[in-house]
Amino acid sequence: MESAAPADEFIPAGLASLGIDVDETDLAVIAAVHRFFWPAIVGLLALDTSEVEPERCSDLSKAPQ
Amino acid sequence: MSAELDLNLRDQAAAVAAGEVSPSELLEAALARIEARNPALNAVAETFPERSREMVAAAPDGPLHGVPVVIKDEWPLPWRAQRFGAAELMAPTAPGESGPYRALRDAGATIVGVGNMHELGAGSTGAVSHYGPCRNPWDTERCPGGSSSGPAASVAARLVGGAVGADGVGSVRFPAAYCGLTGLKPTFGRSAMEGHHMAPVTTTIVSGPLCADAADCRLLGSVLCGEELTAGDAAGLRIGVVRDAVSEDVTPAVRDACEAAIETLRTETGGEIHEVWLPDLEAAALAAILVINGESLGGTTPERLNRLHPEISPVARGTLKYRMLLPAAATVQASRVRTMMRRRLAALFEQVDVLAWPTVPAPAPPLEAPLVELPSGTLTADQANVRGSGLANLTGAPAISVPVGLSAERLPIALQLQGGWGRDELLLDAAEALERANGRRWVESRPPLAEAETTEA
Repeated sequence: MESAAPADEFIPAGLASLGIDVDETDLAVIAAVHRFFWPAIVGLLALDTSEVEPERCSDLSKAPQ
Repeated sequence: MSAELDLNLRDQAAAVAAGEVSPSELLEAALARIEARNPALNAVAETFPERSREMVAAAPDGPLHGVPVVIKDEWPLPWRAQRFGAAELMAPTAPGESGPYRALRDAGATIVGVGNMHELGAGSTGAVSHYGPCRNPWDTERCPGGSSSGPAASVAARLVGGAVGADGVGSVRFPAAYCGLTGLKPTFGRSAMEGHHMAPVTTTIVSGPLCADAADCRLLGSVLCGEELTAGDAAGLRIGVVRDAVSEDVTPAVRDACEAAIETLRTETGGEIHEVWLPDLEAAALAAILVINGESLGGTTPERLNRLHPEISPVARGTLKYRMLLPAAATVQASRVRTMMRRRLAALFEQVDVLAWPTVPAPAPPLEAPLVELPSGTLTADQANVRGSGLANLTGAPAISVPVGLSAERLPIALQLQGGWGRDELLLDAAEALERANGRRWVESRPPLAEAETTEA
């Protein structure tokens, strides 16, 4: 699983490219959140869901068709 | 008259109906108790005595006639816009008649206050709020759970007999667990949501009751759902147990109490325990977070993020900005995981009636440092708690948290039961069966803060 190390470049560059201002406190918080979320997101993306047939117009109040 | 506040919600309603106490007396007693106990808790963010008295004066006959309740700071009231525990929302809000407000009003209830909540609904502890942290009545240095922190602490401290919370990734069940209450997350779409700022887009959030026990949750839940959650029995209950982090990576006290409760429930219902396989629970929890994050991004622009209210907490400020970097591919994958888990659950519910595992893996952590020590190591409470909660929101299925013990530190321990779509009633039946079997020991346990003044005149 990929570490969160590239965050030092990815986060400030990504936010700057969107025109989002950040200060040191923002970056410290974001780095902590990123350390928690990013490995899990990478893991999620690696999950093989190719066999999952999309549920069209799902009604979440009921069991899937 | 404050002794009536120590009654359960249904018994308060019965006392009013029998003329043993008037709605006005009950309201004034609740206001007095809030004044006396709330400074130690910060559970109620705001009262509005004149508005509450107007509700009493206009209250129709109904199942909650004259009974005071607290509602989470997540829905508008005719005299107050929701603030979501924050200095500002990213969405426009205004006072109005929300669905839960109408349901309570039409049932004859009196809204006596707005409950504190974790800022922007984004935490399982209740430790962060624009109103200041809410405190757990069992130990005021501990987290009450979130994000419905104030509603839960209000009921646990017997400020009121029932409260309305909201649950998007566990926000009714976490505080129910930490505060020793019963909390129901209804099937998606079944309970009143109108007026919630995310109501048009959410696929995870529901309103739900927080009460002392299952019968009260049935009463308040019926009001919120606009239909009777009919009592039945849970005879022959087939209980599914998942051997995964949700049941294994928990403190020994939580594991022992929950395993004992599951066996007690099996015995009481003459049921069966089945070990079942349900992989990818952690992926499901993350998927639930990604879904709710994506749905809450509407209207969020870089320009808007650059002028956040200065009193938005640093954690919320950073998290709001970080959300803009989450890859779309992850949100799409979350949707596929949702479909996968819905199908897996549907297949499982052919074999079992409920799934059971601890609501949270450890009792309430300190407010100062909301960390939990688990067999796998030290985790933030948010990291640990969401593992067992997100599945119900992701799939739309109902779930309930029931108290099943106290730790050595006398902090509540809770079991979660998850059922099939529309089987909210069965969860309440099962919770009542468990209460019967353990002599109502845990639902009648009270925190020191509530015990201390039960003799007040």
